[in-house]
Amino acid sequence: MGIFDTFTDMLEAALPWGEARAEAAEAEEKDDEKDSGEDSKEEESKDDEPEEEEEEDEPETEDPKEKFEEECKESKQCSPAKHHFDECVERVTGADEGKPVDKKHPNEDCVEEFFHLAHCANQCAAPKLWAALK
Amino acid sequence: MLARSCLRSTRAVGAVRNGAVNTSKRAASTSSSEAASPFRLNMAGSAATAVAIGSMAWYYHLYGTELHAMTPTEEGLHPTKYPWEHAAWTKTFDHQALRRGFQVYQEVCSSCHSLSRIPYRSLVGVTHTVDEAKAMAEENEYDSEPNDEGEIEKRPGKLSDYLPSPYKNDEAARAANNGALPPDLSLIVKARHGGCDYIFSLLTGYPEEPPPGVKLPDGLNFNPYFPGTGIAMARVLYNDLVEYEDGTPASTSQMAKDVVEFLNWSAEPEMDQRKKMGLKVLAITSLLTALSIWVKRYKWSPIKTRKIVYVPPKMGGRPNGH
Ligand code: HEC
Repeated sequence: MGIFDTFTDMLEAALPWGEARAEAAEAEEKDDEKDSGEDSKEEESKDDEPEEEEEEDEPETEDPKEKFEEECKESKQCSPAKHHFDECVERVTGADEGKPVDKKHPNEDCVEEFFHLAHCANQCAAPKLWAALK
Repeated sequence: MLARSCLRSTRAVGAVRNGAVNTSKRAASTSSSEAASPFRLNMAGSAATAVAIGSMAWYYHLYGTELHAMTPTEEGLHPTKYPWEHAAWTKTFDHQALRRGFQVYQEVCSSCHSLSRIPYRSLVGVTHTVDEAKAMAEENEYDSEPNDEGEIEKRPGKLSDYLPSPYKNDEAARAANNGALPPDLSLIVKARHGGCDYIFSLLTGYPEEPPPGVKLPDGLNFNPYFPGTGIAMARVLYNDLVEYEDGTPASTSQMAKDVVEFLNWSAEPEMDQRKKMGLKVLAITSLLTALSIWVKRYKWSPIKTRKIVYVPPKMGGRPNGH
């Protein structure tokens, strides 16, 4: 370990490309020095900045995952799953509202239909989502 | 071709005839015409074959099909595979994402979940600079060594201290969360099937409302990815819940992605080094392979290029005839 580290250290010292450092970059101080030395032009432009920020009403971030999945649910690819889910919703909510209950499955829920639809939508949205996220 | 097959068939007929003669000779008392019936001849074989096929079918019927002791609901929805960048063989963690992920953990998850295997020092050079990590550590108080009177005083945290846990012990954590224990997140990515995909799906997978017909006990929330679909953790991530210092839009899925990558780091902090080491091994092994081939060629060259010459002995003192 020791010897190996010594060699790598020596190598890294000699190599031209930089190395990631845990210490904070010292650039900030230098920037300050520069700023104080420069004309007032920069300061003017700096004064403008906060105003601009106030004017910009930050738009509500919308979740790309939700957006893509909604689109995917409506797509042709997922239409069979959506069809079954919708049918199930109708059946089950209908039963709640006093329509004749399916005697074979009195306590039916739509979890499986939901799974199939969600699986399809996720599968379809995954690559688009990763392209949209950082 | 045709002639040859004809020949062969006449020979076969002859053999059958001989056989018939033999059997009739042996069983002289029974009539020889019965033995010749093709139905009788094939009956045993056919019956045995039928029994064999039947027993195989029966076996398959009894044991062949897979059994599912759990309903799909109990199993939970299997997470989709996402193309995680850091999972690729030659890719490292995105440290900008790790920093954002730590922020999400710190601001959202840390009020319920501990991350007890991560000391502040291990954040240095990964998500934060030394000074930042020191400042964060100093915001917490830790027990110090007993003083002269044996009292244990509090001191500000140091880099070597571990991230503080939100609860004193598991019982306190349960009591505060309706009986459900929020698990420690240090190794959670390794501790769940589906790893990153599962946790990302879990965090972003709460639907607006559960599908109709679902009845969950009080205090549980519907999440399709959690086995059983009833989870004690409610949805925690909402758009713009945190404000990223690098200006990344903090959508729910962005926060989830970042925090999951961070949790992957906390479970596998050696990953970057491991991949680097793997590449080193490949490079050095290929170098050594090439070297060994050249060395082998060098060492063998005298053997490969030698010539074996046979010089016939001179014949009995007579001079060669040239
Ligand atoms: C209000 C408290 C609370 C917050 C905040 C919270 N959780 Fe949880 N979490 C819980 C509880 C309680 C459970 C246990 C759920 C159960 O067992 O039903 C849990 C469970 C989990 C699990 C394990 C699920 C499983 O498969 O067992 C993960 C992973 C998780 N949380 C991640 C997170 C992440 C990441 C965050 C931050 C973005 C977070 N949690 C924020 C309370 C919380």
